[in-house]
Amino acid sequence: MKFGVWKALARGVVLESVRRKDLWVVAILGFLIMAGAGMLGFFGLKGLETFAKDLAASVLGMFSTVMAVLVGSRVMPEEIKNRTLYPLLARPITRFDLLFGKFIGATWVTWIAFLLLAGLTSLALAMFQVPFEAVMGQYLIAKMLGLSVIVAVSMTLSVFMTASAAATMSFVLAFGSSMIIRALVMAYESSSPAFQVVFKFLNAILPQYGLFDLGSRAANGWGPVQAWVLGALAAYALVYSSAMLSIGWLKFRKQAI
Amino acid sequence: MNIKPLFLTTVSSSALVIGGWMVGDLGGTIAPPGSPPGLDAHETHGSTSLLGQFRTSFSSWLWVRTDLYLHHGVEMRGLTEQELTRGKTGVGSSDNQDNALHDDDAHVAVIPSAEHDFRGIFGDLERATSSWKDMRGHDHADPISALPLFRLMTWADPQFIPGWTTASNVIARDRSNEALEKALRLLREGLTHNPNSIALHQEIGQLLAARRRDFARAIEHLEAARRLAVERRELDEDDLDALRDVYRWLGMLYRDTGREEARKAVLAEGVQVFPDDAVIARLLNPPKPVAISREEFEAKARPADTTDDHDHDHDHGHDHDHDHDHDHDHNHDHDHGHTHGDQHHDH
Repeated sequence: MKFGVWKALARGVVLESVRRKDLWVVAILGFLIMAGAGMLGFFGLKGLETFAKDLAASVLGMFSTVMAVLVGSRVMPEEIKNRTLYPLLARPITRFDLLFGKFIGATWVTWIAFLLLAGLTSLALAMFQVPFEAVMGQYLIAKMLGLSVIVAVSMTLSVFMTASAAATMSFVLAFGSSMIIRALVMAYESSSPAFQVVFKFLNAILPQYGLFDLGSRAANGWGPVQAWVLGALAAYALVYSSAMLSIGWLKFRKQAI
Repeated sequence: MNIKPLFLTTVSSSALVIGGWMVGDLGGTIAPPGSPPGLDAHETHGSTSLLGQFRTSFSSWLWVRTDLYLHHGVEMRGLTEQELTRGKTGVGSSDNQDNALHDDDAHVAVIPSAEHDFRGIFGDLERATSSWKDMRGHDHADPISALPLFRLMTWADPQFIPGWTTASNVIARDRSNEALEKALRLLREGLTHNPNSIALHQEIGQLLAARRRDFARAIEHLEAARRLAVERRELDEDDLDALRDVYRWLGMLYRDTGREEARKAVLAEGVQVFPDDAVIARLLNPPKPVAISREEFEAKARPADTTDDHDHDHDHGHDHDHDHDHDHDHNHDHDHGHTHGDQHHDH
C-alpha cells in the first residue's frame, strides 16, 4: 500500500483545483442558492417548508453532480495535455498509483465543494426555521458516496475519450441513468424472456446513482433509513468505483502517452 | 475594389428579405389564430414573453411537485396504454373526496413493489432510500398543505389556469362562507389576469350557483364562458371539460329559474357540442316523472304472495317518504351538485 503516494497525489489535485479557482464555481453556485432562497423568502415561506427542503435537495444534488463530473472528467486529460504527467511518471510510482491518487483527489475536491454548498443550503434553510433532521445527515453521507461513484465513472470515461466527450457521457449517465432504469422496470413484465435478460444485464452495469439520493425522504418528512441501507450503499459505491477504476487502469496502463 | 463579394452579399440579403416578406402571409396557415391548447396557452401570453419559458416551466414543475407532496413524496405515474390493455389497474385511493384534484384509478407508484420488481437488492435499496410505500388504497396529504404552492405557481405564472382553479377547489372544500369568499376572490384575481378563460368563468359561476345560490350572477359568468367558447375556433381539453359543465349548469339554472326557452336553446347547443354527454341530453329531454301515491307504490312493490316470511326491506336503504323525484337517474342528478360527477361542489 502506498498511502503516502496516494495522499500526495490527491493533495496535488486539491491544490491544483484551488489554484485554478475551481472553488469560484462553488461560490457562484452558492450565490445562486442564496439568491433563490432570498426570492423564496421574499414571497414568504409559510407552508412551503416541504417545498424548500425539496428544492434545496434538488439544487444541491444537481450542482454537486455537475462539480463531480467536471472534476472527474478533467483531472487525467489535463495532466496529459499540460505534459505534467511525464515528471509524475518519472518518479517511482505506477500508473495505478497515479490513477488512484487522482481519483482520491478528485473525490476530495468534489466532497469539499459539496459540503460547502451543503453548508450554504443549511444556512438558507435555517434562516427559514427549517430544522436539521437525522435523515438530512444521512442524505449528506449517501450523497458523498454517490459523488465518489460519479467521479470514478467520469475518470474512467476520460481515459477512453477526450475530456469533453467524457464529461458529456458522464452527464448523460448522471442525469439519465435513473430514467433508463425506470424504463427498464416498466417494460420488464411485458417483455419477452430474451429481452428480460438484456434488461437485467443493463440494470447491473448502469450506475445506480438514484440509490444515493435520500433527498425525497428528507424533504417529505420520512424518517432516517436503517443502518444496513447505508452499509449497502457504501458497499455498492466501493464495488462499482473499484470496477470502474480497474477498467480505467486496464486501458491506462498500456496507453501510449 | 472587388465588388463581387459586395454584389453577392446584396443579392443574397435582398433575396432573404423578399423571401421573408413573401412567406409572411403563410403565418395564418401555419399557425392559425386562436387559443393554443394546454400549457402552450400561457407560453404565448404577452406578459410572459420576457421570462416566459422559464415561468411556464417553473409553474409546470410546481404543478408536478404538488402532486408529489399530496402523495407524501411517493412518485406516481399514469399507466401506459399497453398496461391498460393488459388489464393492469391503478392503485386507487382510500379517500375519494379529492377526485377534483386528481384520480388515482389509473396511476401506480413509479417504484414498483418487490413482487413486481426484477432488480432484487437494487429494488430493495431504492424502496428504502426513496419516499416509498405500498400505495394500494393510499390516502393523501391534506390538499390545504399544497395551497402555498398553488399560490406560488399563480404568482410565477398568472396564465397557468389550473393553478387558479385547483387552488379555489382546495379552498372551497371548507364549507364556511369565509372560505367561499376566499375562493371567489382568488378566482376573480385569476380572471383579471385571464379575462378570456372559460374555466375561470365556469368555476366562478359554479361556486356562485352551488354555494351562494346567486343564480343571476352565476348565469352571467356561465354565459360569458359560453360566449368565449363560441368565439374560439379551437378548445383544449381543459376548456372542453369546463364547457361541458357550463352547459350542464346553465341547463339546470334556466330550468330552476323557469326560463324554458333559454334552457332549451342552451341545452340544444350543448347536445351539438357534446353529443355523447348523457347528462346534457337528459336535461334537454327529461324523462317523464313517475309520480304515484304511496298506496300505489306499496301495492306495486308488494308481491302477490306476500307473507310475513318475505317481509324484507324492498327499500334497499331508500327512504321513500322523503321528496324523491324517482327519475331513476344513475348519475343521481337530483340536484345541481350531484350532476357533476367530477366536482365536489354541491348544494
